[in-house]
Amino acid sequence: MYARMIARDFRRNRSVTLILVLLMMLSVVLATASAGTLVRPVGASSDLMTQADAPHVAQLHVGPYDQEQVDAWAAGRPDVAHHQTMVMLGISGANLFFDGTAQTDNIQQNSLVVPNTERDLLLDLDNQPVTEVDVGTVVLPVIYQVEADLEVGDPVTITGSDGYVTELTIAGFARDSIMNPAITSSKRLAVSPADLADVRAHTGEVEQLIEFWLHDPDAESATFQKAYQDSDLPAAGQMVDAAAFRMFTMIGDGMVAAVVILVAALLLVVGMLCLRFSFLTAAEQDYREIGVLKAIGVPGHGVKQIYLTKYALLAGIATVLGLPVGLALTPLLTRNITRYMGSVPSVWNWVAPVLAGTAVLTVLVLFVVVLLHRFDKISAVTALSAGTTGRQARAVMRLHRSRMPVQLRLGVMDVVGRWPTYLLLFLVFAVSTFIIIVPVSSAATAGAPAFVNYMGTGQVDLRIDLRHADSTSATEFEQMVAQLESDPDVTAVAPMVTTRNDSVDKDGNTASLYVENGDHTLLPLTYAEGRAPTAPTEIALSLLAMNQAGRQVGDTLPVQVGAQVRELSVVGSYQDITNGGKTAKSVLPTGEDDVMWYMAGVELTPGTDAGATASVYAEEFAPAAVADIEQWRIQTLGPIAQQIMVTAVVSAVVALALAALMTALFTRMLLARDAGPIAVQRAVGADDPGLRRQYLTRVLLVLLLGVVVGTVAANTLGEGLFNLMFEGMFGGFESLGQGTSRIDFAVDPLLTYLALPAALLAAVALTTSASSRSISEARVSTLTTE
Amino acid sequence: MTTDTPLLEATGLTRSFSGHTVLHGVDLQVHHGELLSVMGPSGSGKSTLLYTISGMDTMSAGTVRFDGQELAGLNQKQLARLRLTSMGFIFQHVHLLKNLCLLDNVVLPAYLAGLAPRSDLNDRALQLMERTGVAALADRDVSEASGGQLQRIGICRALINSPTILFGDEPTGALDSTAAAEIMDILAELNADGMTLMLVTHDPRVAARTERVLYMVDGRIVGDRRQERYAGAHLDQRQTELSQWLMAGAPVRT
Repeated sequence: MYARMIARDFRRNRSVTLILVLLMMLSVVLATASAGTLVRPVGASSDLMTQADAPHVAQLHVGPYDQEQVDAWAAGRPDVAHHQTMVMLGISGANLFFDGTAQTDNIQQNSLVVPNTERDLLLDLDNQPVTEVDVGTVVLPVIYQVEADLEVGDPVTITGSDGYVTELTIAGFARDSIMNPAITSSKRLAVSPADLADVRAHTGEVEQLIEFWLHDPDAESATFQKAYQDSDLPAAGQMVDAAAFRMFTMIGDGMVAAVVILVAALLLVVGMLCLRFSFLTAAEQDYREIGVLKAIGVPGHGVKQIYLTKYALLAGIATVLGLPVGLALTPLLTRNITRYMGSVPSVWNWVAPVLAGTAVLTVLVLFVVVLLHRFDKISAVTALSAGTTGRQARAVMRLHRSRMPVQLRLGVMDVVGRWPTYLLLFLVFAVSTFIIIVPVSSAATAGAPAFVNYMGTGQVDLRIDLRHADSTSATEFEQMVAQLESDPDVTAVAPMVTTRNDSVDKDGNTASLYVENGDHTLLPLTYAEGRAPTAPTEIALSLLAMNQAGRQVGDTLPVQVGAQVRELSVVGSYQDITNGGKTAKSVLPTGEDDVMWYMAGVELTPGTDAGATASVYAEEFAPAAVADIEQWRIQTLGPIAQQIMVTAVVSAVVALALAALMTALFTRMLLARDAGPIAVQRAVGADDPGLRRQYLTRVLLVLLLGVVVGTVAANTLGEGLFNLMFEGMFGGFESLGQGTSRIDFAVDPLLTYLALPAALLAAVALTTSASSRSISEARVSTLTTE
Repeated sequence: MTTDTPLLEATGLTRSFSGHTVLHGVDLQVHHGELLSVMGPSGSGKSTLLYTISGMDTMSAGTVRFDGQELAGLNQKQLARLRLTSMGFIFQHVHLLKNLCLLDNVVLPAYLAGLAPRSDLNDRALQLMERTGVAALADRDVSEASGGQLQRIGICRALINSPTILFGDEPTGALDSTAAAEIMDILAELNADGMTLMLVTHDPRVAARTERVLYMVDGRIVGDRRQERYAGAHLDQRQTELSQWLMAGAPVRT
């Protein structure tokens, strides 16, 4: 009998049932996709690092190099398990042609290498080690397949200033566990030993990549790095550790995963609210029937069983339909990850999403069980006599004091008078707005030119880096700055000298810090908290450095300057991804300490071609590296912003679908509930277009409120979430919620405040008009007593 | 009070719901100024006749002419306009809108019609409420008035646009006898002023006060009785006569 009742119920409420299934399906789709988006990159990233056997600490070095010195030092350290040094032959962009195109605009430092055979392996697209490259061929980093559309068989040409030209053919593409993402600005191009030797004879700058594997990297990494830096081993270059490799990898895909998870979580909450609404409406409509069932002696649990079966069946159908869609959506969201890191054929890639989908099903069913407790309170007599559980509406506003058009006013009055009924719709609209705006704003922020300011680079057009090689470097740098200052195209120059100073970490152990010294008020970057240091007694720390030191803005930090230890007050913090991320800014004297490198930030007069100027400077100031910041931003952050935009589009579509479905569900149920009042208004002479206008007013008013609240929430709460994500990515879990990241959303007002709300408005208005067509069906019989 | 051209004329009026015929080709003429009641057992089609003849419900066959206008020739919007300006309705359960105060319920049809400035319409509503003795309740909620008071509000709402005819579906059905008598006094007074009224009722006391009683069985008018205008006396006697007529099978008597 119960089965027949359920079947009849489905037939009677076909559209409502369908909408409910779609809503629950959306929740399942997003939960499944977010689980997949989370599991895949984590799995792929750790798999890549394991398969490739990535080093735990790597030191880049340019200049004289003595292998025996390194071997002897490593042999004397019990924490070193292995070490090796790779020769990298850096080829200038002007001498490197991909398929005929010179790589002068390419911000990556491209180096030819002979691939390792045991550790730090390059992996092909099937994740098999590339240990040998045929003479005359080259294996390129996968980034060039993804971003430059190069294919196997395309030519790579290398030229030398002496007229040397050699052409290699692309034999394949490789994933690089430590230099994969665009943001790591070095790339390794694998060639045969013979080709490397040939090219080296004509062009290129040799750089050593000194790599170490530790027995217990988590425990020993910091001490090891400090010991290395304190030794007199070659260190003319960056030192990077496994944590930084992981950070670089996760910065893009982590953001995507975070956005999807946020959307999925919100959607589940909304899904449950919708379920509750539809359940209560159905229960209200069935109130009498429940009374009858109880009156004829059907036990309470029998009545509940009918409802539970009904909703469990719907949730089950939604899950069965939603799981494949969610699984199909995952590759789209993780496309980047798959390309860069490969897909690991792990059983978890399937199990985790299915578990997430099933968890949603369980939550939905349990929620119905909780809702069903309400039925215990219904007595047969009250159900039969009252016939409705409806709240008594009250007249809050006055029609006769209004000058508004009648139907408009009636719409407004109904929303105000019956606010609890509209609360759900309001929440759905607010959440939809939030789901649309936050990802779009996140993508816009990551893609905005100003974003580099949050990433350790000031408001400069060009950035010129000069390594400290010997005692002449300082003079060289001074001359360069003087020349820049006399250039009419240059409006400002901010010279910085980076030194390595000893400090302490949060456990009190000595740790070294790269301190950039200079006038930080010139061409400043954006500080997450606090301000730029202006005196030798002050210091600003990057988030990673802040985390390492266990300090907050306002604390002091002991820093060794020359022979003395100074207690510097921490006046600011900022996000930085350059130089391994652990950096500081101060105005310390630089004469006595280890100078690591020099940097000049350059601001050009508006209208100057930054790219062309960069090329000129690159030649003029060689061996200094000149970076066009806008190019750098486009090539490193661009792909990340694009990937977030894909997520944003998916979220927007989901949110629009959610708003439209919910509007349809709500309007239909509202019309069912309001059958009486509608019939009355028609009886006294209201026409159908007028009544439809009234219902449109109600829904659009609620939408307006929802959009306003959702937009405000997106720009406050959403911005906060975005920052929280950043803190997590740059500072680790410990810095979560410390308020150290303060990125302002780069909001495109036309898109955020006009286009997106307009899209939502259009979707909702169309759905309402379509759904309220059934207003004509409101039977006059609801008024009759026969 | 009747004139020769009927205000309302139904010919062969039929109404079916999913194969079940509720009205079987009803012919009926209602004249200007008539006070008419329709009686009959539950399910005889009284209310259906009322709603079909007023254009609120669609007919399956037949014609209805109101004030010379063929209802079948009007679209939904024109029908709504006709109901708004020329017809008034009162119901057993009044059916006031709960999110409006009582005065707002009365002015609503006037605002919808928009035939005069709103301040004038508010004044007219208050006058009507004054006349029916509920002016003091103007600003109250629907839940703050008694059944009799609500029915007076319902009458004010029906009268706000000065309709030509007033339809009542069991207007006293939910009231106690005192309240019912008071409502009938108001309706009789309106009729005395020239208003045409058509009331569906179960109550012989209501029918006894009208000058024409129709009796319906199974979707057909089986009896049509005319009686003297009620002048305020001998109601019991009129009621007895009406009962006898009904018990005799309500033969047509003109």
